[in-house]
Amino acid sequence: MTGYPSAAILACMRTILAGLIIAATVSPRALQAQVDYNARLGLTWASTLVRDDIIEEVEVRQNLAPTLALGASLPIAPLYRAGLEVMLTSSGYHASEAGTSTDLGTINTGSITLGLNGPVSGRLSWRAGAGLLGYWPKEEEGIFLQGGTTRFLAGIGLDYHASVSSRWDIIGSLRYDYHRFSTEELEARGFSQTQGVQRISATVGIARGTR
Amino acid sequence: MMRFTKPLLLAFAGCALVSCADIAAPSRGNAYEWRRLLSSGTGVDTFSFHWSTSDLPVKYWAEDSLNLPLHVQHGIDQWEALFLYGEYKGVVVTDSNTADVIVMTGIAPKGGFLVTRLESGMAPECQGATDIELTSTGQHIARPIRVYVDPRFAPGSPGVDECMALTTTHEIGHTLGIFAHSPNTDDIMYADPRVATPSVRDRSTAELAYHTPPTLTIDVP
Repeated sequence: MTGYPSAAILACMRTILAGLIIAATVSPRALQAQVDYNARLGLTWASTLVRDDIIEEVEVRQNLAPTLALGASLPIAPLYRAGLEVMLTSSGYHASEAGTSTDLGTINTGSITLGLNGPVSGRLSWRAGAGLLGYWPKEEEGIFLQGGTTRFLAGIGLDYHASVSSRWDIIGSLRYDYHRFSTEELEARGFSQTQGVQRISATVGIARGTR
Repeated sequence: MMRFTKPLLLAFAGCALVSCADIAAPSRGNAYEWRRLLSSGTGVDTFSFHWSTSDLPVKYWAEDSLNLPLHVQHGIDQWEALFLYGEYKGVVVTDSNTADVIVMTGIAPKGGFLVTRLESGMAPECQGATDIELTSTGQHIARPIRVYVDPRFAPGSPGVDECMALTTTHEIGHTLGIFAHSPNTDDIMYADPRVATPSVRDRSTAELAYHTPPTLTIDVP
């Protein structure tokens, strides 16, 4: 996952992100005025990362994670916009076995998704996107003994805008995303297949946008 | 709107179905017996032990001789790396009074109420032993556990330092709770080990030891 394909996708996303930033800062006013931005804070819940079976079942999960989300989009059709969204989380993670829990340290994640969004009704809009999710453990040990991992990610979501001024909105967002999880260390130990991980995040923030 | 939403809904319904598939855990069937089985009047007594999470990190004190502190740290690192879920952590301390395990050079002294003396032949350049002593109730291991590593030749002789390193790693394996020797020559816990690092079998054994309820606990310091 960290080889050529993901590097190429990341490079492509970087180009699009750079394009959006440049469009927002140095482009003609007409284009600049069409870029929507938002910044949000919230929480992310994630399902089990690893399920092991040593006498009893062992599960590794992330704790509820504080989340920072940043997004920008440009119109591509009368009703649709294309944009990038970056989500960063940081939380503890733990192993559970037979009712006891062991703290395993801290893990940071960062995702970047390229997506489309369009109206649902009124102030509600949908978003769908795909991209990459990186795991960066604070300590390289246990399941991350050989370092973090980068996975493909797909997600959908809903945004609700409530205007507070002519240019600024309060935005509330719900996101669901899905990826398959494993690490080099797990693969080296003979774990086969990967674990489906679902994440749900709820964030609130501000958006500067076009009307 | 419908043009986009229908395929998207189908795609995510597919993802939701795929999400039922889990990662598949490897087998630990290659593990060897780690418990100490002692014959008693009524049958066989099983002695097993592992450090509980509340005991961690296990505190090791090493005599400042023949690179022992370095070998102990190296041994701790090697065993720590075998565990996926924080089951074992060790640290080298400077005050022997606070230690859970004391590692010294020399030959293990005679005497004491020992549940077992885990002597190891090792390579010809050195030898090691771990003394695990029970408290009077017979249900707790007395602190500190004592480890002895002894060079058979003059320090600096060829092979002595390497032997001290692998012997220390082997003895730290006993302090973890692996109270028996492996029958496999490629394992660090073989009675007369020829390898410097724990094997996949050692790893499976350590994992099983730490996920099986122990019959012994360490006494309260």
